[in-house]
Amino acid sequence: MLKKSAANVAGVLLALFFLFPTYWMITSALKPKGSTITSDYDLVPLSVTFTNFVTAWTKPGFMSALGNSLMVTLTAVLAAIIVGITAAVAMSRFSFRGRKSFVLLMLVAQMAPFEALLIPMFLMMRDLQLYEHLSSLVLVYFAVTLPFCAWTLRGFVNGIPVELEEAAMVDGCGRWGAFQKVTLPLLGPGLVATSVFAFITAWNEFLFAKVLIRSQDRETLPVWLSGFQTAFGTDWGGAMAASVLFTVPALVFFLIVQRKMVAGVTAGAVKG
Amino acid sequence: MTAVKTTETAAPAGGTTPPALPPALTGGARKRRRRGGAFDRALPYLLLAPALIAILWLIGFPVVSVFVTSFRRLNLGELVRGEIVWTGIDNYVTVLQDERFWTVTLRTVVFTVSVVGVSVGAGLLIALLMRVLTPWVRILLQITMLCAWAMPILASATVYIWMFDQNYGILNKTLVRLGFDQFAGHSWFGSGTSTLTVVGLLIVWQAIPFLAFSLYAGLVGVPRDLYEAAGIDGASGWQTFRAVTWPEIKSLLMMVTFLSTLWDFKVFAQIWVFKEGGPSGESTTLAVLQYLEGIAKSHFGVAAAISVLMMLILGLITFQYLRRLLQTEEGKI
Repeated sequence: MLKKSAANVAGVLLALFFLFPTYWMITSALKPKGSTITSDYDLVPLSVTFTNFVTAWTKPGFMSALGNSLMVTLTAVLAAIIVGITAAVAMSRFSFRGRKSFVLLMLVAQMAPFEALLIPMFLMMRDLQLYEHLSSLVLVYFAVTLPFCAWTLRGFVNGIPVELEEAAMVDGCGRWGAFQKVTLPLLGPGLVATSVFAFITAWNEFLFAKVLIRSQDRETLPVWLSGFQTAFGTDWGGAMAASVLFTVPALVFFLIVQRKMVAGVTAGAVKG
Repeated sequence: MTAVKTTETAAPAGGTTPPALPPALTGGARKRRRRGGAFDRALPYLLLAPALIAILWLIGFPVVSVFVTSFRRLNLGELVRGEIVWTGIDNYVTVLQDERFWTVTLRTVVFTVSVVGVSVGAGLLIALLMRVLTPWVRILLQITMLCAWAMPILASATVYIWMFDQNYGILNKTLVRLGFDQFAGHSWFGSGTSTLTVVGLLIVWQAIPFLAFSLYAGLVGVPRDLYEAAGIDGASGWQTFRAVTWPEIKSLLMMVTFLSTLWDFKVFAQIWVFKEGGPSGESTTLAVLQYLEGIAKSHFGVAAAISVLMMLILGLITFQYLRRLLQTEEGKI
């Protein structure tokens, strides 16, 4: 019994350790100006204000960075999912020469060390005249997430009994009809999980966003936030409010699929 | 309509357990569709074509290009003029003779090993702890870990910089309150070691949730009667762990260790945001060095040589990882 309560105390302390930075981010964002940068000891905010959020929201560059991030991330993920599904169906539902090597290629491509491909990517985007264009980031994030999407979706397609499609085809559906009416709806949860994963990877990405985009009006949120000291000075309340706004989309998506996260990562091996 | 009904019952099963598929299924797929014309035979290739082209273009080509570039002299001048100057292994000689490269490599290895060791160790301990917790404490811990996991890297790094702020950071204030007056105005980013320790703490904090959740999932899968048998035999806690738990989760532990090593070795964002590899280059790791040489100084050839050396190290780890993965998933491919 004593052992159990000791374990529970340790559990609560660990929960505090994991929660504290999030707690501190939110409370710092809610504190009124003047009570963030202070030598008073204030673990609990005494008064609450939302002006920091307004400050962050109206800071030059925030809106455009948010828009750029959403645009780049969503386009890349959508493309990766569409191309990923077709590849997944091919890998899972067809037998053809070279299938095994292709599956292996997907697995290896997932492990590609993109950070080490920074220089060739930079040179390639420059040659393609895409340097300084958001489309270069779309291409990179598409490439980063595609192998993972194809690989994970293949697992999900494998989990759908092929007999269902065959039954639909016996009932008079064409192959496309069977896919559209049977496989695609069943793939729903898998599609959500996979796209959230891809979304978070792209949402987090910093190195390429920094290297491939120099002009301020095309920055994505991570790069904008990394320059927060130029934007905010020592306005930590504003910086924390911006961090909260940056976290919210990722957190929402994360909670949607949290039950599938572990299986997804171990199967897919991609981290943001 | 019958087909739709079946689908509804099958949906959750297909959704929640993606990796577990009966091997018979792929076998069944293999036997299908032998008949059919040229279009049917071409169809799988048509479906694969977009993915294959994308991978070859956006991953395969850069991989080849990084090797090629590493044998060229490619600074800003050559790049602007479009000159191609082959210099053989000069870039490698430059890099390998540079004492800083070896310092940075050693630092990267030490950093990676410490971060991986601490996060995997702590992840395992927390996974073991989660098994004995009262349900509400366990759920509380899981929710808080999810919060840490979900926070975007740049947001968490910004929060950590604020918590470790020299003058108004909550850590220094707390330490002074507890009576450690020497921490008043203490700069946590004054030296490379201290900076990397804070970066390491941030990475460990965000890495533990994934590790603890995966290992916990593995632990839950260990059959209960094994523990009962160990209890009947009078095994102590440590003996039970050695004899029952360890063999069951050893391979999973190996996998997450490999993955963590891959991820932590190439960390860039956190290190860059804290101090841009400083003070005076003391927190520079290989990923940062590659950026500084290549992008900041426009020495693309030298940077490519660093990238190749990085890839060799990462490739070695990846190879080991894939070999193990394929051993466990042989039936699937």
